[in-house]
Amino acid sequence: MNKRILIVDDSFYMRTMLKNMLTDAGYEVVGEAANGQQALEMAAATNPDLITLDVILPDNTGLDVLRGLRQQTPAAKVVMCSAVGQEVIVSEAIENGALAYIVKPFSEERVLEIVGSALRGDAA
Amino acid sequence: MNAREQEYRELFMAEALEYYDGMGRHLSVLERSPTDVPALNELFRLMHNLKSNARAMGHAAIGEVAHSLETIFGLIREQQRAFAGALVPVVFTGLDELGTMIRAVGASQPLPDAAVLLENLARVARGEEPVQPAAAVPTAPDTPSEEDTRKLELSDLVYIQVRKLDKLLNLVGELVIDRDRLLTLAEEIGHPALQATARHLFRISDDLQYSVMDVRLVGVGVLLNKFPRVVRDVAAAEGKEAELTLSGQDVQIDRNVLQMITDGLLHLVRNGVSHGLETPDQREAAGKPRVGQLRLSALTERDDVLIEVADDGPGIDTEAVRRKAVERGLTTAALAAGLDEQAVWAFLFEPGFSTAAQVTDISGRGVGLDVVKRALDSLGGQLRISSVRGQGTSFTLVLPTSIAVKGALLVELDGRPYAVPLLHTDTVLALRPEEFSVAAGLLLAHVQGQAVPVVPLRDLLHAEGSEPLPTADKTQLHGPQQVLVVNYNNRRLGLLVDQFIRQQSIVIKPLSKPLDTIDLFGGVTLLGSGQVCLVLDVPALTRLFVARRA
Repeated sequence: MNKRILIVDDSFYMRTMLKNMLTDAGYEVVGEAANGQQALEMAAATNPDLITLDVILPDNTGLDVLRGLRQQTPAAKVVMCSAVGQEVIVSEAIENGALAYIVKPFSEERVLEIVGSALRGDAA
Repeated sequence: MNAREQEYRELFMAEALEYYDGMGRHLSVLERSPTDVPALNELFRLMHNLKSNARAMGHAAIGEVAHSLETIFGLIREQQRAFAGALVPVVFTGLDELGTMIRAVGASQPLPDAAVLLENLARVARGEEPVQPAAAVPTAPDTPSEEDTRKLELSDLVYIQVRKLDKLLNLVGELVIDRDRLLTLAEEIGHPALQATARHLFRISDDLQYSVMDVRLVGVGVLLNKFPRVVRDVAAAEGKEAELTLSGQDVQIDRNVLQMITDGLLHLVRNGVSHGLETPDQREAAGKPRVGQLRLSALTERDDVLIEVADDGPGIDTEAVRRKAVERGLTTAALAAGLDEQAVWAFLFEPGFSTAAQVTDISGRGVGLDVVKRALDSLGGQLRISSVRGQGTSFTLVLPTSIAVKGALLVELDGRPYAVPLLHTDTVLALRPEEFSVAAGLLLAHVQGQAVPVVPLRDLLHAEGSEPLPTADKTQLHGPQQVLVVNYNNRRLGLLVDQFIRQQSIVIKPLSKPLDTIDLFGGVTLLGSGQVCLVLDVPALTRLFVARRA
């Protein structure tokens, strides 16, 4: 069965790009959330294998959402998405249970590599 | 460019422009309150998104400017820099430049050079003075290329005086009336080419009418966003603690409709704080949080815009209002005793009514809520009230989206058509004489479990001087009776008419002299047949009925 992925990003453009990359590679994108509350609701409803989580979200910081997700759906693996310059937040995210991070702008190759290894369970 | 690239490009542009607008909005908040954290958070987030998206699209220059600005907003948020001094004009120039760059991407033109701007942004981020005064950055052009850059800065927005839009709207109103007349004539004459042309004209003028109405629409937010300040001031003056939540700022409404309810809404919100909320101590004693909640929200319901002012205060003391209404001579004790709570609450909006025990600085001076009703009456709007003791009160203004064209029900009486605005119509019924009852000289119909007084429209239109209306007599009714139930200020009234014609959109024109003194009519409209049709003023009819009932 295809691995199921939830995308969390407040930019529609970013979500669309990620979704295309992941769908093309054979993953099933089970939902797209634009803010933290939607992310938690959708994660609870869809129970995904993996969540890509933007570090900066409108109603919450990505970190708060990360903590919520780890508590609520601990089976889902979380990969942070960030731009260059958020190293501090990213390392805090790793401490809070995120498996890996993707740096924007995405290269398709890198996204698939990181998502693949996170799902397999080896370090990125 | 393949389909997917085209899609990315369109998404990027749409979001970039949205972010740019948002940045402008939040920046103006920051101008007023330079340490506003929510505004700083949003600016940071929007810059961050624009940067990420621009880089993914390969627009490195936009990415760099957005990155520099993001850094600056981050520093301000961490209080390492202040939104003050030389930094402010540099940031504004940066935002303008982003707008120019985004538009250049949209027009597939080369992006302007941002070297000077980036240098200035880097300097103010380090706390240094910019290389040259930011305001002077677009220096006097002496080469054609800089001249081009200046042309690009022309805004896509045009500011228009409202009175010019009013004129346009009136002209469209005239056009629509002539169009309907032409369409009717074309059908009568039956010439196919004329009919086709008339139908085409119908579609075009319909489009034109909606386009003109659309141009006049503004977001309700332009008014709602003024209220946080009002609430803060009133709460401070009255020793209350209040938190205001806004929603629906994007709901669109005609600018003049918004203008007309501005004063009324101001009274409702002030009233919401001074009467609608208890003092922090009273709230605590009632087991509520010390901070009272006030909600100001807008939403669209069919063709109407609803603006609601809600509080979580003590609710309306219906019995106090009932007593006061009698004291003020607005009704008699006998009548007041029989009124349901909706009808009692309606007194709150009568001129000179106030239940404030003490006259405070802000409200309770006996002027106030009748302003709301007057504005609603002149717009053909409605007021809905709901209130639960101990839990709170909500006032909802039901407003037409546009003032140009109103939906109306056409009815016929004695061979003449009359139009009744749909905003005031509740339901239509056909009742047999035996289905009416008579009580206290009034004819009553039973509508959804409520007894609604019914009066022949003829009696109201022919009411003379200050004579009471004729006493109801059921034996005078023969055959099925057509009842139009109208609703005004939470009072329902049934009007007996000869027949219902149809529902249609009408353009209401003011009555010209000497008819303008007849206050039972809100105006006049021309039907497609060329026939003049009077528009009934439901508030005036209701008041007449209340004043003259037997």
